Amino acid sequence: MDLRKYEEMNSLQIDALREIGSIGTGNAATALSSMLGMEVRIPLPEVQILEFNAAVEKLGGFETIAAGIISDLRGEINGLMLALFQLDAINLLLSKMMGKKIHDYDELTEIENSAVIEIGNILISSFINALSGLSGVRISPSVPQLSIDMQGAIITVPMAAYGNQSDYIMLIGGSFLVEHKEVPCRLLLAPDMRSLNYLLHRLGILE
Amino acid sequence: MNKLTIGIADMKMAKGEGVLITYALGSCIGICLYDPFIRLGALVHIMLPLNMETNRTSPLKYADTGIRLTLSKMEQMGAKRARIVAKIAGGAKMFDVAGNGALGNIGQRNIDSVHHVLQQERIRLLKEDVGGSTARTLLFDVATGEGCIKIYGKAERFL
Repeated sequence: MDLRKYEEMNSLQIDALREIGSIGTGNAATALSSMLGMEVRIPLPEVQILEFNAAVEKLGGFETIAAGIISDLRGEINGLMLALFQLDAINLLLSKMMGKKIHDYDELTEIENSAVIEIGNILISSFINALSGLSGVRISPSVPQLSIDMQGAIITVPMAAYGNQSDYIMLIGGSFLVEHKEVPCRLLLAPDMRSLNYLLHRLGILE
Repeated sequence: MNKLTIGIADMKMAKGEGVLITYALGSCIGICLYDPFIRLGALVHIMLPLNMETNRTSPLKYADTGIRLTLSKMEQMGAKRARIVAKIAGGAKMFDVAGNGALGNIGQRNIDSVHHVLQQERIRLLKEDVGGSTARTLLFDVATGEGCIKIYGKAERFL
């Protein structure tokens, strides 16, 4: 039977998405390692289905300033994917790529903004490639866009896009481990319900 | 002072005194409804323009049902429809994306819907701070009927 809401997903289905997430973030770690020239590991990510307000709190509160990189998914899956970085993650990446640290986001130059977008792009594309490869579903993510603002407003973008279908959102959380330092990175996946059902069907786990 | 925080798809009221706060409005809209005579204020945080749910489990998520439900709750608390005024903030476009995909301009549609519903309900819109591309935190002081907008990297603005 088709699901009507994210929150109806059972543990088997969530496990499958976690497994896909783990392969995706594994690919992302490899790509980041070669980009940064050092070992980057991403331990097994957690997949959670959270209510809107709980999701924002879980990610560190509404007013925390963050960089969000969003990509529109088209093809056999329609949806949005959002990667979210806070200042410590950006600083770690920038210090390795450009030997620079910032205290506030407004110090980011255009080229550093591009670097942040590129990191988000790597995470999103790696996840989408894993999803696409494992399920045989064709997905093409759009050119990613950046927004730096209160994260509550950024996180509500994918929520609002499919908010008429659910009060919940799918959060794929993980941390980079770079030189034994843990840096949180978050991905939010918001497929529309028809796409989610199609995906679960293709993976053979729709009851 | 008594502070009340309003989440997404949520509404709270205060009478006489207290500050109603909703954080990080992006494309969402915060609607302050206020009866100055009895100093009853309500703040509702809506996310989408129109309620098309069949079973209507979360009316406060939508502009139309959110505003109407809030008005009826205010009337139960003694507010008179003719005295109620509104101030609104939000409806931004957080990502600059071309076309009308899933990222299309929900903020603008929310603004249009809120205007339309307020007009239908004959509520006077006193002031608004809407559109643009930045997130807003909205505070509304029930004692004075004054609002305040906080934006990242900018000075506070009155509403």
